[in-house]
This record gives sequence, C-alpha cells and structure tokens, in this order.
Amino acid sequence: MSVIQPLFRLLCVLSLVLAGSGSGSGSGSGRNASVSHEYCVLGAGPAGLQMGYFLSRSQRDYIILERNAGPGSFFQIYPRHRKLISINKIYTGRRNKEFNLRHDWNSLLSDRPSLLFQRISRELYPSADDFPRYLSTFVKELGLKVKYGADIGTIKASDFNGNQGYILTDQNGVSYQCSVLLVSTGLWVPQQVDFLGSDLVEGYESIPTDPEEFKDQAVLILGKGNSAFETAQSILGRASRIHLYSPSPVRLAWQTHYVGDLRAINNELLDTYQLKSLDGLVEGRLEDIAIVRREKDGLRRRMAKKRSQKSTEGKEQLYLTLTELLDQNGNNISKITGQNLPGFHTDNFSLRQPYDRVIRCLGFRFNFSIFDGSARPPQSSGARGRLPGITAWYEGRGTPNMFVLGTAAHSRDYRMSAGGFVHGFRYTVRAVHKILEQRYHNIAWPATKLPISQLQSWILRRVNEASGPYQMFGVLGDIILLRGSYCEYLEEFPLQALPQLSALSGRPLTDQGLLVLVMQYGLNRTDTLGPGRAESEWTKAWRSNFLHPVLYYYNTLPTEKDMRQRPVGWPLPRPEALHHMVEDFLTEWDQPISHSQPLRRFLEHCLQTDLRAFYAERSIHRRFQENGYLRKQGIVGNSHLWQHAREAGLMADHQRDITPGDDTSVSEYLKHAGAAVVSTMNFDL
Amino acid sequence: AHRIMCIVYLIAFLFSLTSEQCSSKLMEDSSQSFMERMHTGKTSFIYFGNHVNPTIKLFMEQLEMSADALQDYGISVVKVNCSKDAIANYCTGEKLMTKAYLFRGSEVLRSFDIDTVFDVNAIVSHVLFSVLFNEVRYVHTPAELLRVESAAKQNSDIVVGHIPVLGLPEHRALMEAAFVYGTKYQFVQTSGTLVLKHMGVVDLSSSQARLWFLHCKGVSRRSDPCPSTPMRKPLNTINIHTFLQLMEAPLTESVLDPSEVDVVHLHLGVPVLYLFSQPQTQHLDRATAQTLGLQLRGEVGLVLIHRDSPNVKTSLKYNAAYRLPQEDVKYFTLNSAEGVVKLFKEELLQEQKLENEEEDEEHWSDLDILDDEVSESVYRDRDLMLDLESVIELTSDTFQITVTQDDITVVLFYFKWDAVCMAFIQSYIEVADALEGMNGVKLAAVNCGEWTDICSDQNVTSFPTVLIYRPMAAAQLYRGMLGTKSLHRFILLSLGSSPYILSSSAEVMSFMEGDLYSKHMYLTPVRVLGLFSSTHDMGVTSFEEAARLLRGESILGLFAHKEMIHVWTSEVEGLSVNLPALLVSRGPGVPYEVYSLPSSSPTDLVSLIKQVELDRFPELTVENLPWYLELGKPLLLLFIGKEDSTESTKALAEIKQPLSSGQLDSFLPCWIHLGRTPVGRSILEKYLGFVPPLPVLVMSQLKTGEEVFLFPPERPLMAKNILQWIHDVENGQEQPAGLIPDGKWGPPVPFFDFLAIMDQEAPTYAVQRAPKMKTGGREDHRENKHVTPNQKQTPHPSSNPQAPRQHSEL
Repeated sequence: MSVIQPLFRLLCVLSLVLAGSGSGSGSGSGRNASVSHEYCVLGAGPAGLQMGYFLSRSQRDYIILERNAGPGSFFQIYPRHRKLISINKIYTGRRNKEFNLRHDWNSLLSDRPSLLFQRISRELYPSADDFPRYLSTFVKELGLKVKYGADIGTIKASDFNGNQGYILTDQNGVSYQCSVLLVSTGLWVPQQVDFLGSDLVEGYESIPTDPEEFKDQAVLILGKGNSAFETAQSILGRASRIHLYSPSPVRLAWQTHYVGDLRAINNELLDTYQLKSLDGLVEGRLEDIAIVRREKDGLRRRMAKKRSQKSTEGKEQLYLTLTELLDQNGNNISKITGQNLPGFHTDNFSLRQPYDRVIRCLGFRFNFSIFDGSARPPQSSGARGRLPGITAWYEGRGTPNMFVLGTAAHSRDYRMSAGGFVHGFRYTVRAVHKILEQRYHNIAWPATKLPISQLQSWILRRVNEASGPYQMFGVLGDIILLRGSYCEYLEEFPLQALPQLSALSGRPLTDQGLLVLVMQYGLNRTDTLGPGRAESEWTKAWRSNFLHPVLYYYNTLPTEKDMRQRPVGWPLPRPEALHHMVEDFLTEWDQPISHSQPLRRFLEHCLQTDLRAFYAERSIHRRFQENGYLRKQGIVGNSHLWQHAREAGLMADHQRDITPGDDTSVSEYLKHAGAAVVSTMNFDL
Repeated sequence: AHRIMCIVYLIAFLFSLTSEQCSSKLMEDSSQSFMERMHTGKTSFIYFGNHVNPTIKLFMEQLEMSADALQDYGISVVKVNCSKDAIANYCTGEKLMTKAYLFRGSEVLRSFDIDTVFDVNAIVSHVLFSVLFNEVRYVHTPAELLRVESAAKQNSDIVVGHIPVLGLPEHRALMEAAFVYGTKYQFVQTSGTLVLKHMGVVDLSSSQARLWFLHCKGVSRRSDPCPSTPMRKPLNTINIHTFLQLMEAPLTESVLDPSEVDVVHLHLGVPVLYLFSQPQTQHLDRATAQTLGLQLRGEVGLVLIHRDSPNVKTSLKYNAAYRLPQEDVKYFTLNSAEGVVKLFKEELLQEQKLENEEEDEEHWSDLDILDDEVSESVYRDRDLMLDLESVIELTSDTFQITVTQDDITVVLFYFKWDAVCMAFIQSYIEVADALEGMNGVKLAAVNCGEWTDICSDQNVTSFPTVLIYRPMAAAQLYRGMLGTKSLHRFILLSLGSSPYILSSSAEVMSFMEGDLYSKHMYLTPVRVLGLFSSTHDMGVTSFEEAARLLRGESILGLFAHKEMIHVWTSEVEGLSVNLPALLVSRGPGVPYEVYSLPSSSPTDLVSLIKQVELDRFPELTVENLPWYLELGKPLLLLFIGKEDSTESTKALAEIKQPLSSGQLDSFLPCWIHLGRTPVGRSILEKYLGFVPPLPVLVMSQLKTGEEVFLFPPERPLMAKNILQWIHDVENGQEQPAGLIPDGKWGPPVPFFDFLAIMDQEAPTYAVQRAPKMKTGGREDHRENKHVTPNQKQTPHPSSNPQAPRQHSEL
C-alpha cells in the first residue's frame, strides 16, 4: 500500500466527520436522522468494549451501538446455569501484571491496573451475573461512548468518496454513517439442525434451569459441547437418564488444549457414563434423526392404570428414530407405529427407550440477517458456516473497511486457539486496532528498538511474562525485524498475515531477515496423562507437548504461497532456522543451560555474531583487535566472579602474579587517585 | 655454480651415507699450514688442543667424521696440536681445549664450546648454520615469521623447520637441505612453541622436529596468506629432499600409458595418481588435476595422461589409476575429486583423521557447558542467596514515593535471568555497602521480571540499566562501566552541584586548583570551567544543561562575569581568553588549556566537554579505553612493566616531549601499565606474538588486518629516535612486527539445528506441502491446516442409516 492511500483515506474520513457533525448535530430525535462516525462498533459486548477502549485511548471518533440497555447482555442469559468457566485466578504467587493476565481469563485490557475482573469477583469460576457488572464498570470508568437501545436492523455498504463505508439503520430509522465498521455482535442465534420433529425439541436458550423440573425424567440432549454438558450436569441429580447425542465424540479441553472443548468443570457426566450410572454418550448424524411421539395403542391402554400414576399430566413421551424408517407423506408423519422405531428392527438399539424431553445444545451462529447483500461477509468454510469468513487481519472477506471482532471472528482459529474467548480476543482486538491505526492514520505498529545484544534478554522477558502470545498461541506472535546492529521488536502480530507484514504494520522490511516468536503446543502424540508426556531435554525440545516458545528465522518474508504450503499442523512455513525452547513445568524459561544458552546460540546463528558477554578485561582485548566491535563490554565483575570464570577455563588469568586490582575494597582504591577515568557502556546503541 | 655442485655432492652423499669412509679427511695443521690457510679465504673448522683425554678422544672421532661430511660443502676440518705448534691467540688461555673455531679466511665466524658441537651431527649443523647465517632466518615469533613471509610473497617459497633441540640429526638434515636449496627457497629455522602454535600444532608437548613448506611464490595478492603444506615424515635428509621434490611437481603431464610413465615420485617412494584426459575436456581435466594435485601435494604425485596419444592403451572404462610404491598400476573409475582425496587420505592419513573426529565429539558433548564467562561465573554462584540488604527492593507501590524522597536515588533495573545483571548486582551491592549511612543517597533495585510495569513506565529497554532519580528532575542514565569503582565515583560526583556557580576570582582559582571541592580531588583532578561575560549570555543556559547531563561524570564550574574574568585572567600567567570559553585544569600546577566555546546545543556541548577532558597522553585502562578508541586515531602505545623503573619514567618523558610540540597530533599517544592493567600483556602478545623486554613502544591502527609496528628494541627510546621511526613507518621503510588478528566475531559454536533433526527423525514433519491443484477450495484447505494430523476429525462419521446403533463405548 502506498503512503498516499492511507493519507487520502484519512482526509476522506476527516471530511466525513466534519460533514457528519454538521448534519448529525442534534439528531437522534427526528426520523431519518443521520449520524456520522469514523468508527462504528456494533455491540457492547467484551470485544466491542475492548475496541472502544483502544479507540478512546487513541482519541478516535467512534461510537459503540448496543441494542440492549446495558453491556454484555448475552451474559444476562448465558450460560444458562450461571457459572462462567473462564478462570479468574487471583493468586499466582507473582506480582507481574502481564504474567498474571495469563491466568485471568475475564478481564479486558486497559491501562487501569484496578480495572480487573477480580475487583468484581473473587471466585475461580465466577457467576455469569458478575460479567455484565464488570463490563458496566469498564464502560463507566473509562468513559466509553456507548449508545444503548440502538437496535441496528440493516447494514448497507456505501461509497464514501471512493472508499467503501457502511450505513447502519436502527429501529427508529436513525442512520449511522461509518467509515469503518467493527462488528462485535458475538454469536447469539441458536444453531439449529433441520430434522423431522425438531419442533418437539426444546432449546438451551429456553429450557428451565430449575433441576426440579426434570425430576425422574429421561432426557436426550443433542450436542456434546460445554452447554450440553453444563445442562446435563445441572440435572444430573434429578433426571433419571441423560443421553447426549451428536456426530462427534467428546473432545476434552485438557486433551486438545482448546478451551472451547469440554472443560473438566462440566464433565461430571463422563463419570456417571463410565461408571454405568444410566447416563451415556452416543454418536450419530443429526440430519438423519427424527423425534416423534408414539400413538397410543393397545399396549398403552392395558397399562393405563399403572401409567397414569407415573406420568406427569399425561405428557407424551418422545422417541428418537431415523427418517428413513418413517412413512412420509410430504412433511406429515401420519402415524407412528412400532415399525417406525429402530428398536423394532434392532432389539438392542441404544436409544430405544422414550424420553420425556429432548434438548438442543448445539451452540450459536453469527447473525448474518442484518447485513444487506452489499455488506454481507461470506460464511466461513469451517465451523459449519456459523461464522463470517474473514481475512488474516480480521477484515471481512469482500467487505473492505469492515472488521469482525470477538467471538464472531473465531473462524480464524476455530478449534485451534483462544480467539473465540475473552482471554484470547482481547489481544486480537488490540492487534486489529494497531492495524487500523496504521491503515487509517499512518501510525506504524509500535516497535521497541533494541540493540542485538539485548535481544536475548528481551525474548526471555516476553516468553516469561507475555500474555498475548500465551493465550493466542499459534495465532499471535512477536516479530523481530533484524536491522544489523539493532532490531525492531513488534508484539503480537497476527501470524497468518505475515506476508502482508509491511503494509499492515507500516514497518519497512530489510534484507536482514526476521525472527518470529510463537508459543505453541506440541505434537501431542502421547497420552495426555501418560508417561513420557513431558520433555525435559532441551535438545529434544521440538518434541515438547505442552505450550512452549518457538522461534522461526526467515531470511526473507514468507509469501502467501509459502504460507499456504506450510507443513501440516504448523502455524508458519518452514523457516531457514528453527528453535524450540523446551517446555517447562513451571512455565519459567529462564535457566542458563536449558533455556538461555541454546537460545543465545540460535540467535548467534541467525545474526552471525557472537552474543556472549565478557568481563571488561576480556572485551578490552577484543576492542584492541576490532574497533568496530562493540558489545556489552561494560561489565566489570569482581574477583569472586573472575575466579569462577577462570576455574571454568573461560577467562585467561592475567592477574595470577599480581595483586588483584579491582579486588581491593572501594576505600582502598580511593587512596590511589588515578587519572581521570571516564567510561561508557551501551556503545552499541 | 658452487651450489649446483653441491646438489650433486648431496645426492652422492645421500647414497654413500651408509658406506664406511676409510680414509680420513681430517687435516692437521702446523703453524706454517695454518698461516697459509688463513690466507686462502676458505672456510675451515679448527680445533686447537694440546693433550688427549677420553672426552677429547671421543670428540676427535666425531671431528674426523665431520671432516668427511663437511668436505662436501667445501669446508675443511682441521686440528692443531698446540703442544707441537703453539699458535698465538688460540693455543693459549683457559678456553684452549674446550673451544673449536669456524674461520672464513683469517676471520673467526664463530667459536663453539665442544659441548655444543659434541658429535658429527652437532658439528655439521652448527657449522652450516653459521655459514648460512645470512640465508637461514632464525625466528622466535609468529610476527617475525609473518615478516619473512610478507617479504617472500610472489617471490620465493619458504621452508620452515622447527628444531626444538639444536645439534641433533634433524637440525643437521635441515641445515644440509638449506645449504643445497638455499638459493631456491627461503629457509627459516625456529625453536620456540610460539611459532608451533601459529602453524596450528595442537600438541605442543612433543619435542618432535617439524617442517613446513609455505607456498608464498604463487600467492596472487600480497594480502593473501601463504598456503602451507606440513611434512608428515620424520625430518631427515632423504625425507626433506623427497618432500621438496614433491612440492616442486604437483602435476606432471604425459602421453604414455600409466605403467610406462616415469616420474620422480616413483623413485621417491610416493604413490602416484594418474588421471586420463580427453582432448575435448582437456581444460576441465587439467583444472581438476591441478586442484587435486594441490590437495594431495606432498603425499601423492599426480600425472595427467592424454588419451589422444596412441601410446595410451588403458581401457576407456577407466578414467583414473594409481600406483603405490613397489606395486603395479591399479585402474579404477573416478566419480568425484573428493572421492579420490578421500581414498588417499584414508590410506595415508589415518592418524589425522582420528584427531579431527575427536575434536567433533568433544564439541557436541559441550552442549550443556556454558561457554559464556559471565553466565558461567554467575551460574557457579547459584547456591548463594543474594544479600540485598543494603539495597531497597522497589515495587509498584513503593517506586514513586521512594525515588522522590532523597537527593539522589539510584535505581538498578535488572532481570534475574540475565547473567550480566546478576554479575553487576554484586558490584551494585558493594557500592551500596560502601555508601551505607551517607545522607541523601539511596540505592534501590527493581526486578523487571516481576515489576514489569515499572520498567515499561520508565522506558527501560536495556538490562541492566541504572537510572539516577532526583526530586523534580528527569531521571539520568548512568553510562559508566558496570563496576564498583565507576559507579561509586559517579554517585559521589553526582552529589555535588553541576555546574558549580563561582562568583569571585578567588573561588575560580580555588576551583581550578582543586582546593574548592577538594573532597572530589581523588575522584578526578580535572576541572572544566565555563567562562561567560554575564549570566544573561545565550550560552549559559546551554552550558548549565550540559552540566546537568554530565553530572557524575565531570566537575564543571561556571563563572559569568566579564570584568572579573578579565581581572582574573590577567593575573594568571600566559592566559588569554576570548569569551565565551572553556578552561580545563588537569590538576594543581598544570597550565590551563583554553578552548573557545561555540554556541551549540547542550548535547553538542556535552561531547565537546567530554573531548577536552580526555588526557592528551592517557594511561589506558580497561575502564577508559572506549573513550579513547572513539577518537579513531592510530595508537602510539607504550607498554610499561609493572615495576616502575627509571627506564619507564624516561620513556614516558621522551614521548611527552614531541607531544607538547604538537608533532604527534595525528596519533593518540598513550601508555599501558602492565601492573595495573595486566590484560595489556596479552594484547602485546597478540600484537607481536611474544612479549619483548619492557618498556616497548608500538604503533597500531585499530582496524582488523592492520599492521603493527614495533619500535626497534635495540634503539634507545628517545624523542628524536621515536620521531625518526614514525617517519620511517609512514614512509613504509619499517617492516611490520605483526598484524592485528582478524576478528570476525561470528558464532562461537554451531547452533543446534532442530530442522535437521526433525528431517531425520520425522521426515515429513517439517516439509512444506506440495501445491494443491484444486482451485476454489482454498478456504477449505486453509481450515484443514489448523488441524494437527493426530486430531482426526470425523465431521461425517457415517452415512449409514444404522449409525445410531453404533453406540461407541469410548
């Protein structure tokens, strides 16, 4: 992208803002009123508010539009059983604020240290009611501009001086002209599967949450995710029998490292299933089934007396059957007889017994309906098309200047990382904001300029505290642009957008190559709890199973093609050189032999230089040999340390035959007034 | 012509070596014949004796044998019986009996103790060495060898013999070779281990004699080093001869069949490799043969045979052949040049190969050994608990309050995992201990691994960092050495004002002479005074700001009163000042230096002040070196021994002389005291290859590969000699004594290549996927990539209508 383009955009945006403020002043009351904003954030959930914070901090013209009366309304209803499964770990034994965010999955990012979720709740698994409360506090204390009660019904694309913008219209006919639209509407439309009898099924969104309502009932739950198990768990003590039915087997989060899979906190039913306590899991396609009511017949009448005592108000029981066993006349199922049920054909069919309730817990989908054809992003190819398809930098595919944030943006890392969850998307939102700043305001991605002698230390700092790459493993990574004697350190860049690094970050590339620091889980080929699950030998670090840092070194920026053809299961293409830092039980990658030295040697290889530190005595030696060679030579040390270095054979002993110089105490030294001694360090800056 | 004859003699000698010589060549001189001999101008080795004891008898036997040997070199061996003919000067005195003399005509070239020339080998070697004194260069150090090399480049090749003990057969063999080949090659003899090390010998303990051939003649550029070939066989006359022959002829060409070819190598008992050349590929073949010839030089003879000749009868299926000594020609097919080298090397150089392997193994077993001296020394302290008692450990809660409380709060920002930080923290604690109880100063530390927010807020990006906080002022970065002394001095100097505002000429005088603020005298004797006409002068603000920036590093004064300045300067002898000006005092009694003060930014002023503060003839130390090297001038460096001798003092004074007259302005004259800066010794050794007697003056550029010149030790270190020497060096009339070694500081060890290991252990794991031809399915493709191969997804488990039956009991 040329420099002109963002500048031009900026001008357009500015003119738009001016025009908007003229026409939009005092609006909102009348019909057909129109308001303009540079940025419109749709939805005041965690992602919308997170973006609101960054826009507010960079003093952009923005508005957050929310149809409800308060923020985070999803959490007013969900999870239905009111317990959040995102951990709120307050005590980590550490005071490092960045590190502690690794174990705080509910807080949003801000520069207020007090604005953490722990202020609202001290529970590890907090109540869902606390989350909207937290979000309200967040809005209030940071003074975010949220317009509540604006229910956007349609979104149309429109041309604003040659750039695509968006016009949003609310229920009162107020229209919002937005140069940039940030969609953070979340996922709240319940996912449904069409099958015969789906009208007999209750949804997770509307089931009663009082377990007493399920007393002695046989319950079939469609789905095996967290909402299905959460529902099952709440009625476990009341229902007579709970069966979970869905196409895929259960995936356990502690095995897959994906927090969207079944969390251990919800998995009590696994126990009752495996201990044969009347609950169970079954796999099968949802499209093939039908839920039917059985007609009363002779058998039923004969048993009527007994039955009336048991059944509750004569409610009819539901059977699971297969579409192909039904005699269908169009959509009407005439009459269900025994022959229409699988049990008639296979006497030990697992789900042959009737159910009192069938509950659908199939998750949610993105609300595509408010988008006009001109502004509608395509459906994602993954996640059963439930999500909008977006680019690696979270812009809608085919909808320029419209970005998707939060859970709705999870198609980028669906079933892979944490981009669908608060603790993950708070970082992708931050990354998107940096991209916006570059694209629309020509403010380059923030970078720390470091002398290469400091690079190792800086990398260790990041791997030991950074939360972004830790949560968004394999998705966000730190980029180190090598520039000869120094480098530029960019934090938390979306890895899949690496080929567009220069345009997205505004940081020019040189031919000196780059390093990418990524946190990754490993091959995961062993039993998660079995022997040999952890690697402790650093030379076998690439076999690490747990989250560990990996460094990729590229001479030149990978292209789109390299990216597409990257090795199976890798976040990035095959690099020129690769370094895995061995997984650590304590996630403390700071040990000299297993962590620092191998890292240093890898960096030395990439930079083709010696990164060792030397005591000043030794570096004076080197200075005499090569004037331009300037490193951490400032370190003097003392006789005690020198002794160690000499014993290790690393330092020559020039002093053996004389009285040690620096060894003498300071006061001793002070007696000998020497020549003026001036000195310096950090020469290489 | 004499020499050519000698070659014939030598060959004859070599093959007659074993045969007993019956007739003695040893002559006995009378006074008469001795006098005649003196007039011939010929070379003779003469022993004067008067009686025979068992020792002398043995010597006489050896002398007799040497007569035969030396005859071939035109040297007569003579004995004089002093009891018969008492020849003046030689037949008298204590030395009689124990000495032998080498004469050229009547001139004594050298006298020898008969202990030195104890046997025939010793006699021959010593005598020849003396005769060849001007032709065989004797070197002690690599630097001297380099000098010989640079003179020989593009001119002649060099034969270097390392003779650990003189007078042994090896020495004689080398000398005999030198006598024969002396006009053809430059011969060099050495005995110390320094050169041995230089030639790449690892095992220095062996006292084996060695020989190398340095191919200096063929180097294309004078800056290139001479390639060397070591002689692998024991040092004796035959082997040296063979070796030198082989050096001559790396490649022979022939039109005969291998079995017919007669090359010198066959006579010398050296294997021969034959390569066949086709007319079409002749140039290529020759190039290959030449490369191979060079690689195998000294061990294998190489013959290029032209196939187009009708004499060549070898079957076309072979393209190479070899012949080992005393064996028949063996034919084979050559696939690659490396293959041949390997074939020969493996047969011939088993020993060396083993050595290399050992080295490799050693290297990889070192993976877990720290090779960073700072890391290792800190690691060795890992069981010590750090005593941070005298240092305040700051937290996010205490930081702001603490740094604004005292006059000065020094804060160290560190990481626990950074070895340099942990090494420095020991010095930091030492300073804190030393300053404990002092008012207005506090030392504190922030662990950035924990209090990352403080470190980010303070913009600390380099570790360790020391910042000095004062109330109501921006933090100042400590730029000094990370050591106890420097930091301690910095803090003490920081306690004073900067600049000191002076208000009277008496105060100025006292400031400049170091009386005022004398408590800082031991920290630095240098005082810098800014003189301005009035406090309203534009430059004053700038100067004050510069002074603030230099707080802790320099002692600065400010005097802004035009009239008083005039009064004061008129009182000081020889001082004339144009305002504004900088005045520098280097200590009591030293004349002040005056610099004009241009109006410039505070940062420019800072660099100006730093520069004027530099000593004009500094003693270099580990700590101040960087400041001086920054000047970028060639060094005129005097190394002084650790005992302060009068010689050293004199040498210093001699250099100061031309310095004050400005004759050394293009240099940085400086000195190193090897007592205070012991590392100087190894610098000297790196420069010259050895440590000459001190004091010693050296001139060096700072760039890699630059030459180092040594002031000739035999010349007195006096101003005029020094200037003459500098003049000679500049005109290229001096030979360099050494080079600054090439210092490309690449990675010290190869890195651990995970990709290579993956490719070996899991061949498909790290391989880029082949491009898929399918179009339109890109999105699909992308999603799949996120799925690790082991996580098998079954989105459509079964289309079988009976699917629900398959109750999978997991």
